[in-house]
Amino acid sequence: MSWWPSVVVGLFAGSVYGLAAMGLTLTYMTSGIFNFAYGAVAMFSAFTFWQLRDGWHLTQWVALPVVVLVVGPVLGLVCERLFRPVVALSAEIQIVIALAITAFLQAVVPLIYGSQDRGLTPLFSRSTFSLAHTLYVSWSQLFNFLLTVALGVGVTLLLRRTRLGLATQAVVDNRDLAELNGVNSDSVSGAAWVVSSIFAALVGILLSATQGLDTYTLVLLVFYAFAPAVLGRLVSLPIAFGGGLALGVGQAFLQKYGSSGTLAQLEASLPYLALFAVLLLYGNRLKEVRSSFRTITGAAPTGYRRVALNGALLVAVMIVLPFVTSTSTLRDVSSGMIFAAIALTLVVLTGWAGQISLAQFTFVGIGAFTVGHLGGAHGSGFLWAAVLGVLIAVPLGLLIGVPSLRLSGLFLALATMAFALIFDNMVFPRNSIGGGYTGISVARPRIFGVDFSSERSFYVLAALLLAVYALGASLLRRGPVGRRLQMIRDAPLGASTFGVNLTVTKLAVFAACGAAAAFAGAFYGALRLSVDPNTFSFGASLELLLLVVLGGRSLVAGAMIAGAVSTFQLLPLSASINRYIPMAVAVGAVYLSQYPDGPISVAAERWRHLSAILRPRPWPGAEGPVRPEPAPAPTARGPRPPRAAPRPASADA
Amino acid sequence: MPDRPLIEASGITMRFGGVTALDDVDLTVQRGGITGLIGPNGAGKTTLFNVITGVLEPQKGAVHLDGTDVTAWPAHRRGRAGVSRTFQRLELFTGLTVHDNLLAAWEASVPGAVLGRRRRDGRRVVAEVLSDLDLDSVADRLAGTLPTGLGRLVELARALVVAPRVLLLDEPSSGLDPGETAHFRDVLRRVAGRTDGEPAVLLVEHDVALVMELCDRITVLDFGNVIAVGSPEEVRADQRVIAAYLGESDVA
Repeated sequence: MSWWPSVVVGLFAGSVYGLAAMGLTLTYMTSGIFNFAYGAVAMFSAFTFWQLRDGWHLTQWVALPVVVLVVGPVLGLVCERLFRPVVALSAEIQIVIALAITAFLQAVVPLIYGSQDRGLTPLFSRSTFSLAHTLYVSWSQLFNFLLTVALGVGVTLLLRRTRLGLATQAVVDNRDLAELNGVNSDSVSGAAWVVSSIFAALVGILLSATQGLDTYTLVLLVFYAFAPAVLGRLVSLPIAFGGGLALGVGQAFLQKYGSSGTLAQLEASLPYLALFAVLLLYGNRLKEVRSSFRTITGAAPTGYRRVALNGALLVAVMIVLPFVTSTSTLRDVSSGMIFAAIALTLVVLTGWAGQISLAQFTFVGIGAFTVGHLGGAHGSGFLWAAVLGVLIAVPLGLLIGVPSLRLSGLFLALATMAFALIFDNMVFPRNSIGGGYTGISVARPRIFGVDFSSERSFYVLAALLLAVYALGASLLRRGPVGRRLQMIRDAPLGASTFGVNLTVTKLAVFAACGAAAAFAGAFYGALRLSVDPNTFSFGASLELLLLVVLGGRSLVAGAMIAGAVSTFQLLPLSASINRYIPMAVAVGAVYLSQYPDGPISVAAERWRHLSAILRPRPWPGAEGPVRPEPAPAPTARGPRPPRAAPRPASADA
Repeated sequence: MPDRPLIEASGITMRFGGVTALDDVDLTVQRGGITGLIGPNGAGKTTLFNVITGVLEPQKGAVHLDGTDVTAWPAHRRGRAGVSRTFQRLELFTGLTVHDNLLAAWEASVPGAVLGRRRRDGRRVVAEVLSDLDLDSVADRLAGTLPTGLGRLVELARALVVAPRVLLLDEPSSGLDPGETAHFRDVLRRVAGRTDGEPAVLLVEHDVALVMELCDRITVLDFGNVIAVGSPEEVRADQRVIAAYLGESDVA
């Protein structure tokens, strides 16, 4: 059989990814926001379309314009409004905003549209015709392809031939300079968001017609478009579209020659392998447009005395809890404590060292599967298996640290995302590792002859784990290592000038945090008694990031909040309100632009204001009271410092 | 003491794509003085700085630190060997307090300090430098919350805490008002070369008046070439320097 039918099929499939890649590129190059919620916009638009057409029986020639020209763009502009305040903040904040939007839309869709079946007959006729007698092509496929090509050509012409296009190019080149020359860059990026979400709506409708309609698949499928978008370095629409086509063709070939086994897994992983490869290849040349990686930390760490006080309080709660709660609640609390320990590894990595990882649960999985296989039926080998898991995690941590040597912020996030998704598709599903869909069972540990199989005894173990991690992190932050990490986060150039070896430091922190996550993962597996690949999917890593950032990514207490929220989600009493949690998350995310360090930093700041009011004491010297500065300090390198820094009354006061 | 220069950059050529930022440039920094490096915008001053500190690797040429060839050394190794600097755009560790900015720099430059050894030494050195530069009152403030003027002083303090042999200052007066500039000048005059002629200072500066006042030797760059080397008086009288500056509209 000849090769060209695969090319045709691949082009048809790839054109949709190309369309999505162009949409992602448009908003990034004009506003500096990489819209991780793009798939959610596509998903919501698709649901709306099928509801209008198949649910409420509107003709599709009314439903299509309504969705593509109204629903999608409005959603896009709402996203733009939500992202705008965080443009200058670090990438993990932007990602969390997108995750909140996604979670919100995923929660809202069933509430609005219910869950009935929809016809999903394609927009155009499904009847087929043959190409050169060997390949049957449906009119629907052909029209979809022509539609996407027309849109791609159209938007390219728009950019090259119109005044709006010229203004867009100006904004892409230099936003501030464009504004000085009378270009309203906000309306330019607004226009880009509108076009981008028109594309998103179409992508959603076209993809769902072939791939089915649910709230998760579409979001995941749009991740495929990340590779072609990055291939165009997030500035080139033609390359993004071409990359999408190439991706489709590549997948078609893999599908043809490998219907099962490794090649089939390769097909699903191809977009992520491509993403990882492209990121490594471009390396330094990928620079973020507007967002600075600088984090804005709320406050200097509190003293050792406060650490001791908080720790004592926490320990007291932990000791009392088993006496006042049921066994099943205790298990949920244990789960939350282990989750908090895992969250601490992300606080160290992202909050302090400034290195984003969207693959932290991959390491948790490594620990859990290792003890599952080697921990023994009664958990007597638990400790050794956990140590082995750590040893496996170290080289993988080094591997995932390699992109961080040349990439930062958004692009590092994308590389770790690719890593996690490759693991999801190619490593964990193997029967010998993740046990396939059924998963594998994990025994509760037996350490030095002490049996921890009951919920109460395991609770003690989990509390111990969290105590060690929390104390370790607190001491780390206040010591030389913590300072070293914050050096590379705040000013990598400055750090290297003072003798910090960036390569060694970054690799070490990735390896150490991966190892710590794997060790905690051993306990996580033991808690659950059985684990399957889904437990440690990319989605789990995203949820971890979401909770850690909302809790406060640079604070030990932030990880505790993440753990508490994860416990809360497990409690039976919250089952009835579970569906509203995403709404609460969305509200919390809106406040991130003001308080990127979460509720603790808000509370700490309020408390300092309050105590300053209650004890008005004149400060000696000319400078007046040393005010507790509001959390959003000007970023040293932000392209637009919010306001000119005030001059000190006298520099040497 | 040998009369060998502390920094000797010779034949430095640096191209970015088709643009030649530095073309066969020589520069020496002598022990015990303040050397000025001036030139119009785009002359290659910061590029030369980055070559000396190891941020950029030149296509041609060599950098010697007190006679040792450091051309192949990465930035962090040169930092440990005593090349210290400040930045035109502040590179403070914004999430750390002023005190911890200094301490972190000290720890990074002293072998083994990150493991917690010699902890007391570090705190003593930091306290000395802070009080020397009158920064005690801001020691506990987060560096990211400081105004530019204070930020520049903190960067100077941080550069001094590692007991540098050479101190490279990149446009320290930009963003400062005249009062702050004067203060900075006085501090700089006091610390330059105070221990056996170290740290020697290399000053990149837009404020020509400040350079003339402070430096005992000046190198002038224009379009990647050295057009003059000499004392402030010699440089001031040099026809090519006058042409280069008057050709440009922004002298200051």
